Amino acid sequence: MSNFPDPIREGLQRGWKVRGGAHGALPEKITCDVAIVGSGAGAGITAELLTRAGLSVVIVEEGPLKSSGDFRQHEAEAYPALYQESASRKTEDKAISILQGRCVGGSTTVNWTSSFRTPPPTLRHWQAHFGLQDFGVETLAPYFEQAERRLHVSPWQVAPNENNDLLRKGALQLGIPVGSIRRNVKGCWNLGSCGMGCPTNAKQSMLVTTIPAALDKGATLLVETRAEQFVLAGGKVQSLRCVAVDANGRARDAGRATTIVAQHFVLSGGAINSPAVLLRSKAPDPHQRLGTRTFLHPVVMSAAVMEQAVEGWAGAPQSIYTDHYLETQPIDGPMGFKLEAPPLHPVIMATSMPGHGPGQADMLAQFPRTHVLLALLRDGFHEQSPGGRVKLRGDGSAVLDYPLTDFVMEGGRRALLAMAELQFAAGAQQVLPVHEMGKPMDSWAQAKAAIEQLPMKPLLTKVVSAHVMGGCGLGGDEKLGVVRPDGVHWQVENLSVHDGSLFPTSVGANPQLSIYGIVNRLAQGLAQRLTGQSQVQPLA
Amino acid sequence: MQRRSLLKLGLVSGAVLALAGGAAVLLQPGLEQGRLAPGARVLFASLGRAILQGTLPAEPGAQARAVQGLVERIDALAQNLPAHVQAELSQLVGLLCTAPGRWGLAGLAPGWDEASADEVRAALDGMRFSGLALRQQAYHALHEIVGGAYFSDEATWKAMGYPGPMVL
Repeated sequence: MSNFPDPIREGLQRGWKVRGGAHGALPEKITCDVAIVGSGAGAGITAELLTRAGLSVVIVEEGPLKSSGDFRQHEAEAYPALYQESASRKTEDKAISILQGRCVGGSTTVNWTSSFRTPPPTLRHWQAHFGLQDFGVETLAPYFEQAERRLHVSPWQVAPNENNDLLRKGALQLGIPVGSIRRNVKGCWNLGSCGMGCPTNAKQSMLVTTIPAALDKGATLLVETRAEQFVLAGGKVQSLRCVAVDANGRARDAGRATTIVAQHFVLSGGAINSPAVLLRSKAPDPHQRLGTRTFLHPVVMSAAVMEQAVEGWAGAPQSIYTDHYLETQPIDGPMGFKLEAPPLHPVIMATSMPGHGPGQADMLAQFPRTHVLLALLRDGFHEQSPGGRVKLRGDGSAVLDYPLTDFVMEGGRRALLAMAELQFAAGAQQVLPVHEMGKPMDSWAQAKAAIEQLPMKPLLTKVVSAHVMGGCGLGGDEKLGVVRPDGVHWQVENLSVHDGSLFPTSVGANPQLSIYGIVNRLAQGLAQRLTGQSQVQPLA
Repeated sequence: MQRRSLLKLGLVSGAVLALAGGAAVLLQPGLEQGRLAPGARVLFASLGRAILQGTLPAEPGAQARAVQGLVERIDALAQNLPAHVQAELSQLVGLLCTAPGRWGLAGLAPGWDEASADEVRAALDGMRFSGLALRQQAYHALHEIVGGAYFSDEATWKAMGYPGPMVL
């Protein structure tokens, strides 16, 4: 039993309107002003703003309602309960493993708190290539400020854990600038269990901020309920058809549908999921944009063994970064990458590190002295990096086809080289590029030669993703995107998209704050249009 | 299960049946209502002994118990997987539990129960470094399931030097 107050359980006791799963049967029909699909970054911001503006809101979440009383910091519990496909969603060729949330709060309930505004070069690229003139740094700044205040995005004052500090030390040695990562936390215990749900409620995810605010203002939340499809007619959404689903995503109650009728519909299921809803709905897509240009910040990793204890499971998971390998090259040139460190826990270690038998046993036995770096490859800015495409399987479920091309994989090679160099500079005894043919190397010279020879192929190189972006991209005209610069679908007048699927390219930074800031603006605009008010209550 | 419906389910079984020349092979699904079929339990016990060689307790009794625990956890894990993943896993495991499938996909001649850990590991390397994507995909699926299920049990953390989460 948790020693911490659980704001969700308290809210339920206060009379929040929650249905689905153990919270009671779903109604056959609901009518409201705005229906929101999803309960993550975009949904939460939207729900809070719209309920504050006096609108009646229904939120439809496919995953369960879990909260701090449930979060026991165990991967075996967290992955099946809180993540898409038990934390092992994969691209179609199985070459990329995707971490994405599936629970109330969405990916924000399980992310690692890293908060970066959309980088200026990314915004400039969107302005220049996607007709998004209003997406300038200065124009968006107040919306980012509001989101940062609301979600307590603040400098992390605690010393980085060793896993992060090694990034700093290695970079310092090489003369590469590093920065400290801001985090959306309040009263953080420096545990390192963010990825398993925050047990202390310090992480200011949607679960403990905007969703409770919306529920306190009378919103209805349907959980364990999947939005199957919109019923479209005459260029408008007529209704949203939903079904109750169990923990595996199987339809319950013989697939009996719940119908939601609303004046306006907001799709916030996240990349992959939002395009899938529109594909299932057979939404108009005259320029074949839907589901295309889905980006992942494909990640490659480097594992080092240090002389000293690292204990990468303890302490704030991400506190140091370097953008050196993004800033020293043109955004539309060979793929650049951002370097960070990931939190390390047993299951993620055992499934990410290559190999089997005694060799892998030796490696895992060195877990306490293991340091891992990751490189987020900045996809979507070059013509040879068009990203992936969301498709539907026969059963209507979503799958992302993201070919790992030579262009992307060469970026991966350069990232493995950069990380190895940095880890040796930080004093590593041994560095292993996370690749099926990787062997632990004792020196930078040896590692450099080996990495230059590695066949950088999918299914040999371990590639993962924790950032899914794009697929319902913003565009200044209907040939450039699925939605207009105000977030409304180009062909469906009462449908908006408010989530990470909006991004025309990858962000080039951990995306949560980009979603909060941009959706803040879109949702304020939507609230104004729906209520006729010229100003609505801002986020903070 | 009829061959025709298997071929409709996905790439893996069709291509592997072709590899295995399995025209007359009738497959038992590897999962039954999301639970491991008996042959699947034998398969994962064998894979566990191979993949986790060096990690598993050395003492035979303790090792047998650890392997048994692994198989139970894989059984539980499989039930949480979405339908399309269960279907793929069921095909993969069902195929591996037939002689032509074991030979065609894994490159292993002896049965799973008879093969030594070293023989199984050699077969795994054959899949891992294969020029055929579907053999590599099969390797990764098996590696992830075994590793993920094994280390999800607290009792295994000591060997990794992981003290568990901070008690709050």
